[in-house]
Amino acid sequence: MSAVIANRSQPPGAAAARPSQGLSALLRNTQALDPLTPVDSVADSMLDSRYAGLLSLPVVRGDEPIGTISRYEMMRVFLMRFGRELYGHRAIETLANRNALILAIDTPIDEAARLIAERIQSPITDDFILVDSGGRYLGTGVVLDVLRAMDASLAERSSELERAYARLKSSQLQLVQSEKMASLGQMVAGLVHEINTPLGYVRNNVEMTRNTLGDAGRLLGAYEAIHRSLFEESVEPPADLPDRLAEAAELRRRVDESALIDIGELLDDSLHGLGQIAELVDNLKNFSRLDQGLLQKADLNQLVASALRIVQHVMRKRDIEVIFQNGELPEIPCAPAQINQVLLNLLNNAAQAIEHEHGRITVRTQLMGARVLVLVEDNGKGIEQKHLERIFDPFFTTKEVGKGTGLGLSIAHQIVTRHNGLLRVVSRPGVGTRFLLALPVAAREVRT
Amino acid sequence: MSFLPTIVLVDDEERILRSLRMLFRGRAEVLCTTRGADVVEWVGKRKVHVVVSDQRMPEMTGIEVLREVARVSPATMRILLTGYADMDAVIASVNEGEIFRFLEKPWNGEKLVAAVMRAAEIAASSLERPLIAPAPAAPPIALPSRKVAHALVLDAQGGVANLVRQIMPESIRVSVAPEIGMALDELVTHDVAVIVAVMSSEAGDIVDAIKQLKKLRPATLVIAVSSMQDSRLTISLINEGQIFRFLLAPPGRELLRRCLASALERHAQLRLSPVLAERHEVEESRSSQVTLSGRLLDVWRRLREGATRA
Ligand SMILES: Nc1ncnc2c1ncn2[C@@H]1O[C@H](COP(=O)(O)OP(=O)(O)OP(=O)(O)O)[C@@H](O)[C@H]1O
Ligand SMILES: [Mg+2]
Repeated sequence: MSAVIANRSQPPGAAAARPSQGLSALLRNTQALDPLTPVDSVADSMLDSRYAGLLSLPVVRGDEPIGTISRYEMMRVFLMRFGRELYGHRAIETLANRNALILAIDTPIDEAARLIAERIQSPITDDFILVDSGGRYLGTGVVLDVLRAMDASLAERSSELERAYARLKSSQLQLVQSEKMASLGQMVAGLVHEINTPLGYVRNNVEMTRNTLGDAGRLLGAYEAIHRSLFEESVEPPADLPDRLAEAAELRRRVDESALIDIGELLDDSLHGLGQIAELVDNLKNFSRLDQGLLQKADLNQLVASALRIVQHVMRKRDIEVIFQNGELPEIPCAPAQINQVLLNLLNNAAQAIEHEHGRITVRTQLMGARVLVLVEDNGKGIEQKHLERIFDPFFTTKEVGKGTGLGLSIAHQIVTRHNGLLRVVSRPGVGTRFLLALPVAAREVRT
Repeated sequence: MSFLPTIVLVDDEERILRSLRMLFRGRAEVLCTTRGADVVEWVGKRKVHVVVSDQRMPEMTGIEVLREVARVSPATMRILLTGYADMDAVIASVNEGEIFRFLEKPWNGEKLVAAVMRAAEIAASSLERPLIAPAPAAPPIALPSRKVAHALVLDAQGGVANLVRQIMPESIRVSVAPEIGMALDELVTHDVAVIVAVMSSEAGDIVDAIKQLKKLRPATLVIAVSSMQDSRLTISLINEGQIFRFLLAPPGRELLRRCLASALERHAQLRLSPVLAERHEVEESRSSQVTLSGRLLDVWRRLREGATRA
């Protein structure tokens, strides 16, 4: 209670009040009128600066609130003919509004606002009385303060809502991000293998070429020495000629014509390998640029090819035949990294749906009207009717715990929607599934 | 070189094969294929000293190939050459492939040649003999009941030690060392057939000790039990420690029992024809020279003296 009393001396801080906090912040330390106070002197009191800003004054016997007397009522009485004469000497309790609103100090503000709204009349004539839990008078509250507090709390709530919304959005982004990380992690293994394989033979080939060229250099040197000793130094053959000839013959054995032909071949292989590594690194770069997909012009055929390249090891490992039929496509505005992700999700899902030995995944691209279409078709186990409508839901998965997050398609759907595109599915259990991705040739506005 | 061994290379990338064929030109007779099934067929028909296999291939994985090779031609030495080492493959290469070396792409030419040629030499001497290591695909199920050997469990916690005690028949002496110093004492005083080494995150000493031990006593077989899924560490345990089996902690009872049975059987064979122990020869440790503390070094010295005297 003492806290409440201490509060009374403070100026009312409507804005500081929180909806759950109760009314103590709005409490005004209004000196109550005794019920027996004459109406005349109440009229005088009303002019007193202490009561400025109050619509009505509380009438309290001891600490028991009787009601309120409003300026409006006083005016009404005094404006009556002979009103002052008739009523001036009477006790104020005869005029008091006995139905005044009395609220416990711990009433939540929104509850108070509701009670006020229930009996509000126009114009607002009365303030309300605040009492403690025993019904004892504490002070008064002003309707306007309550409204202001409500207003503030609404503002706060809506900014809370905004914050929550922002948090949700960013955590969703993080989810997207972590999904990317997870699939990236899975792919790193494959990519490392894909890179180390060409790196293996390129490095070996270069080493061998260096060795052979070293031998070839020495062979040339040996020939030159023989040449010099034969034709320049003397007419007699030098004493070490047999040694030199033997050295040259030994080198000649290592650097024969076939070795040089081999080297040509090895260097061709190496160039091929370097090309492959460059391509993989390029793909990786595209793939990792996932943060905020920049709006670019991209060729969907290329995106498909690069996604296929990334999942290639999975397909090869599972012996899945991949067919890519690419149609003629214009470049379209999109966030390539995000589309890449959609394609990867579709391809991974397709591969994972295949449980037999004769897996086939067909990817077709085609231009149709103002849209570019990508069809991803598998001959996997298909999707049951009852699951069809749920597959785009976040976290819906039929895969074992730890195998699937159930986020793949929901993220894909989100990305496609942001591109003003469509993602559709048809499936027949036991036969296969076809996903259709359609993206507009001219994007209106892509919100990435 | 007069000795021209036969080596078989299998990889699904033909350029790798072309490159490796060149590398071994003049050093070995080289057969190449992109299909694992060819390898299995070849080793059944002719004398093949070494098979070098890629791991990730479409039809058969490298481990599948090497496991079959071990079954069909146990004397042939097996090497895995792979571009990416995921933990599962590394573990399987020990337990199923019983490989001599786990090598990674891109490889170092000199080292690869050295490893393959050394393997070929070792294979040559096993190929001469009728008696050869058993196929790992069909491990013996029964534990030998004769009193054959000592088993040593290096286990700070004691859980695995208890399990080993329960599994082993009474005829086999099981001693338990909670720390490496005690384990080494045991090794100096007894001929230990099999060591079960439980490794936790601070296992640096144990890893080094295993590597040193295998150098001195190649016939002692090591079963590593580790909670660390560290492929790098495991690869070094294969190449420099020639561990016999690798189990993830906590090991299943039946699995551990089978590993112990195979280890004891293998040990018995190695004692019978010590030349076979060459097959478990370790690679010179890269990191070593040596992180072991002074006290351990002292024990090593005693061990080494014992080894040279024997
Ligand atoms: N091509 C397909 N064939 C059969 N079922 C599919 C196919 N694509 C998706 N599904 C079904 O839709 C579900 C949801 O797919 P989604 O990509 O959202 O998550 P997920 O694949 O289970 O998990 P994650 O993408 O994290 O691996 C899958 O669990 C699967 O049941
Ligand atoms: Mg998926």
